[in-house]
Amino acid sequence: MEAEQTLAEVARLRDAARARAHGGVWLPAVAVALLLLGSIVLYRDPFGEPSSITAEFPFWAGLADQQRSPAASYAYWFLGVPLVLAATAVWYRWRERHLGVRVAWPVFAAVAGGALLILAVLAAVPEGQPADGIELASGMFWPGLLTPLLPVAAGVVALGVAERSRALLTAGAWIALLAIWLCGSFPLGRVPGGTLSLRPGHYVLLMAVPLIVFAAVRLARTVRVAP
Amino acid sequence: MTEPHPVRALDDTVHQRVRLGILTVLNETPQCTFAALRDQLDLTDGNLNRHLRVLEDAELVQVTKGYEGKRPCTWLKLTRTGRQALRREIAALEALVRRHRAADPNPDA
Repeated sequence: MEAEQTLAEVARLRDAARARAHGGVWLPAVAVALLLLGSIVLYRDPFGEPSSITAEFPFWAGLADQQRSPAASYAYWFLGVPLVLAATAVWYRWRERHLGVRVAWPVFAAVAGGALLILAVLAAVPEGQPADGIELASGMFWPGLLTPLLPVAAGVVALGVAERSRALLTAGAWIALLAIWLCGSFPLGRVPGGTLSLRPGHYVLLMAVPLIVFAAVRLARTVRVAP
Repeated sequence: MTEPHPVRALDDTVHQRVRLGILTVLNETPQCTFAALRDQLDLTDGNLNRHLRVLEDAELVQVTKGYEGKRPCTWLKLTRTGRQALRREIAALEALVRRHRAADPNPDA
């Protein structure tokens, strides 16, 4: 039947056009995953079990745990995120010139960069009393959200919108959920009835793994469709 | 009252094979160059131009001429009307297939 053949041809064309238009998403996904993984070195004991933990506001390393140097953590994110955005811009411009297709990547740059800027402004707001761990655990929730992980999560969600990828939307939401949970309680990993015996390095890995799997699958698919 | 036959929902402007292909490709990207579209659909410049003019006149596709460095470059974009028209066309085709299968559930027998 002609209508069936037409629909099959439309589906084939759509898949090929989709692979061509969105085949470059693996690179920003890898860049964000590497940025997350690199942040592991910002913690004093990323995988070890220290005898005591103190965490300073804002959580510039990302999670509510002891960092090596707040200044180094701050510099890492405030240089790292713009670098990732710049690399993404160069990548998508290169693809535009070579493949002749545009992706709405400025949405990703605007959301991640804008959210980082908002974080910087909020963190600079003067406060009376610095919150301590006990206050935080008993309800003083929002200061924990001053973490660079949320702008990163927002950026991944925006990238998912630009690239029309449900998997990326889910990965961004996953990073945001973990960040909100882990930064909204102290010590790290509190659950009803106790605390999970995972350290910041493990949680950062949990955030990055979906992005790495996504990037690997997309890259494999892109290579298969257009070798 | 009987339902109208789905063939009546097909749009002549969109239903044409090449134009349906153009709309399908443009639906997958915010913007695409003339050259990229021509290569993907394996058309000649003249052929693609002719169909693009029909789609532009129907306000289904937006054509923007500019430069990529020093080279002239034409960018194509599906309009909102174009997206809706493509959606309606696909729905009409699917309805047609469903109707055909309902009328003849076992065509190989």
